[in-house]
Amino acid sequence: MRFAATVLSCLLLASSAAAQEPALPRFVDETGPSGLDATFAGEWEFMVGGGVAVFDCNDDGFQDMLVAGGQERASFFRNGSRPGGRLSFERAEGGLELNMVSGAWPLDIDSDGHVDVALLRVGENVLMRGLGGCRFERANEAWGFDGGDDWSTAFAATWEKGAGWPTIAIGNYVDRAKEAFPWGNCSDNRLHRPESGERRFAPPSALKPSYCTLSMLFTDWNRSGTPSLRVSNDREYYKGGQEQLWRVEPGRKPVLYTAEEGWKPLKIWGMGIAGHDVTGDGYPDYFLTSMADNKLQTLTQGGDEPAPDYKDIAFASGVTAHRPYTGSEVKPSTAWHAEFQDVNNDGRADLFVAKGNVWEMPDFAQHDPNNLLLQKADGTFVEAGDRAGVASMRTGRGGALADLNLDGLVDLVVVNRNQPAELWRNASQGAGGWISLRLSGDGDNRDATGAWIEVRTGDHVQRREVTVGGGHAGGQIGWIHFGLGTAAEAELRVLWPHGEAGPWQRVSANAFYDLKRDHEPEPWTPAP
Amino acid sequence: MIRFARAISVLFMLVSAGSPLHAAGADARAIDVLENWNRLVLELVRHTPTYSPPVASRAFAYLGVAAYEATASGRKGMRSLAGQLNSLSRLPSREPDAAYDDAVVIQAAMAAAAKHLFSNTGPTGQRAMGAMEKQAAERAADGVAPDVVARSTDFGDRIAAHVIEWSASDGGAVVENMGFPLEYQPVKHPAHWTPTSLIAQQQVPLLPGWGGNRSFAMPDGAACPLPPPPAYSEEEGSDFRREAEEVRVAVRDLTEDQRAIARFWSDDPMLSPTPPGHWMSIALQVLDEEGADLEKRVDLLARLGVALADSFIACWHEKYAFDLVRPVTYIRRVIDPDWEPILNTPPFPEYPSGHSTQSGAAAKVLEAAFGNSYSFEDNTHEADGLASRRYDSFWAAAEEAALSRLYGGIHFRAAIERGLDQGRCVGAYATKLVTRE
Repeated sequence: MRFAATVLSCLLLASSAAAQEPALPRFVDETGPSGLDATFAGEWEFMVGGGVAVFDCNDDGFQDMLVAGGQERASFFRNGSRPGGRLSFERAEGGLELNMVSGAWPLDIDSDGHVDVALLRVGENVLMRGLGGCRFERANEAWGFDGGDDWSTAFAATWEKGAGWPTIAIGNYVDRAKEAFPWGNCSDNRLHRPESGERRFAPPSALKPSYCTLSMLFTDWNRSGTPSLRVSNDREYYKGGQEQLWRVEPGRKPVLYTAEEGWKPLKIWGMGIAGHDVTGDGYPDYFLTSMADNKLQTLTQGGDEPAPDYKDIAFASGVTAHRPYTGSEVKPSTAWHAEFQDVNNDGRADLFVAKGNVWEMPDFAQHDPNNLLLQKADGTFVEAGDRAGVASMRTGRGGALADLNLDGLVDLVVVNRNQPAELWRNASQGAGGWISLRLSGDGDNRDATGAWIEVRTGDHVQRREVTVGGGHAGGQIGWIHFGLGTAAEAELRVLWPHGEAGPWQRVSANAFYDLKRDHEPEPWTPAP
Repeated sequence: MIRFARAISVLFMLVSAGSPLHAAGADARAIDVLENWNRLVLELVRHTPTYSPPVASRAFAYLGVAAYEATASGRKGMRSLAGQLNSLSRLPSREPDAAYDDAVVIQAAMAAAAKHLFSNTGPTGQRAMGAMEKQAAERAADGVAPDVVARSTDFGDRIAAHVIEWSASDGGAVVENMGFPLEYQPVKHPAHWTPTSLIAQQQVPLLPGWGGNRSFAMPDGAACPLPPPPAYSEEEGSDFRREAEEVRVAVRDLTEDQRAIARFWSDDPMLSPTPPGHWMSIALQVLDEEGADLEKRVDLLARLGVALADSFIACWHEKYAFDLVRPVTYIRRVIDPDWEPILNTPPFPEYPSGHSTQSGAAAKVLEAAFGNSYSFEDNTHEADGLASRRYDSFWAAAEEAALSRLYGGIHFRAAIERGLDQGRCVGAYATKLVTRE
């Protein structure tokens, strides 16, 4: 009897453990056959950067791609994939193919319905105005944008309340004129706000102090309706610096949150920011990439008016990702782009981290596999990069998780330094249900940057903030993906920028929807 | 303050043309070389992830000895440290009657030694070293006959090669995983160290074998032993608990000045030149203030480097012998679960305090060079926005550095006071080195 009970107990435990284990996604490397052939290349000034921008510039619903080229020209690829088919990209010329590009972010600056692209460069930054049909033209002069002459490495954008034109933050790195003694020589970050009453930018203001920034994100960390600017800085070069949170209120000069307000000094090799409400408390949590140690920050206390006081739950959550988990190396890892997406559609956001040695740093792993950390039901994460097929040992930098063939599964592109970029198709079998949403506001801020989307299945609510910025050196605009697990339908609502809450609306699983303010969700189907 | 800014900017001055240094003679050029490399080394320490305080102290010792021997080899009144420092054999000597230039010799020796010791620094550090070597070599050789430059460079290289070979067998030449062992089993007892950090790498302690490394001037890591710390106890009124209460209350009631002291001496790796680098910085400031000649500079930097390196070996020897729990662990478990120190607790055992040992040793060496009541201003952290601090003596600075760890919530008082005692012992070995005939 006792033996039987023991066996039963073991079986129950095994069953419980299996239930905890998230479904394993399967990624297929389709870099070669897809036609994606791009390398981020360069020496010292391109040891950081190497982003990818993902956006749909010909209105077919399929997201196209721009890969930073470093000292070589950036590479633009039109997406020729078919729904559910193999990934297919074709190199094209649309005007974006400048050299000295370190990163790129898509956004519709002039709200004309055509996506524009901000090119971050070593040298002058350039805003490229979308003309439709994946054609672009330089717009610095037309939009009053001062591109500067810095080593630019980070970007974020928001529409401040009442503004018809975006506010853009540019993060700059080391003063490259101080090559022989760069430490303590960080160039100023810049804030480009709208010229009052005009559809153009005013002259930029410096965000002093600046600490060699590698990622920025406008994010509504306290759900006040007014996003603040989170800045992740590289301690390798600053002196007296730390991570920063700027209060950016309309019509006022930006000011830093202080220790007295709860903002604790944190000094890391800050390289990337990924925001997501991982803990489900209604506030965004932030994964910060670094070297040998990554952070997952959550508010110490929520409530109606939380203080910007964060605690690190990376260790408890299993996302420190501090060392290679496969291969022969045991030295610490170097992390760059990070992004939360649900890769197995189980309704829980997973975390991808691109890895790669800075540049012949022998104290750190030379063969440093990317991480794919799957979230379990208890909120902790388990590593699956090798089992899922994305544990590349190339020197990763930027990346993006996006459904590139519109099959409801999030695919993956990673940009590598001095090695070809890689592209994986998500070919998971038996993944859960999903919905993909595309926001469309009226008038200005057409993509509803700053909105929150809530998706409810049963008593489980997922929340996503619509942002432009973060990651490492690149971002995406377009479909916003939610996994639904076994649910056949879901309820969703949009909290439009600056606080207006839309109604809860019911949608069926496994479909694309256009969401417009004051409209029912409109199903959308890709052309076959 | 102005002096420090000038020192930091000296690297930029390297490219300036028409320098009067040649006119000032070989010693002025040699001092220029020495100061530039030492300033760069302080930055490299900060920006090379392997360079925890023990590792940094080792580099300071070898660089100091290299510069000292490069100089002493050409001075009749100076005695080599060979035979005085453990396992340091007779170094290459200069050819009789052949001309050498000290600045070029020192430049070659420092460049080769630094490149070896910081071979693992990142791309920016490599570029900076490359730029320094090129510019400093040109500057050192300004006005020197080509054959003398060639002979002096070769000799400096051989001095460095000898020092590098000597360093290879000391037990500290290879540091893997930033000094954190891949396997370590903490002793499971409340009296002993347990991880205090949420950083995954720091779930094991830093460099547990460092106390077994070959020492420099003292016989070995056990040469300056300490009595045990107060017996572990959780009983109210016990010596151990009283010490913990003292830390808890000190942190709770910190004055602004005490908070500033804790931050000023924190000297965290990767964010500062580390604690031994802080004392090297003090020495460089004082040497500059005094307008010290070349012989005094190389003498002091070698002794100080040796004392700092020995202090970490001695301290680590005792740390892992006693393996004592940190205040943050004890206080949260026994007294106040919500207690927060103001500084991050370093990832290794508590007793004795490394800051205290190395500060005591450094102060002894500096006192021997400049006296017991030398007043000075320390502006090491000016570029990081921390105000300079003034001291009436080196020992006063050492005591403040030691006490800063109590304010920071890092150490109990016994570790601080006995750490200073241990530093006195370690420093005495370095001050006994004979450098003059």
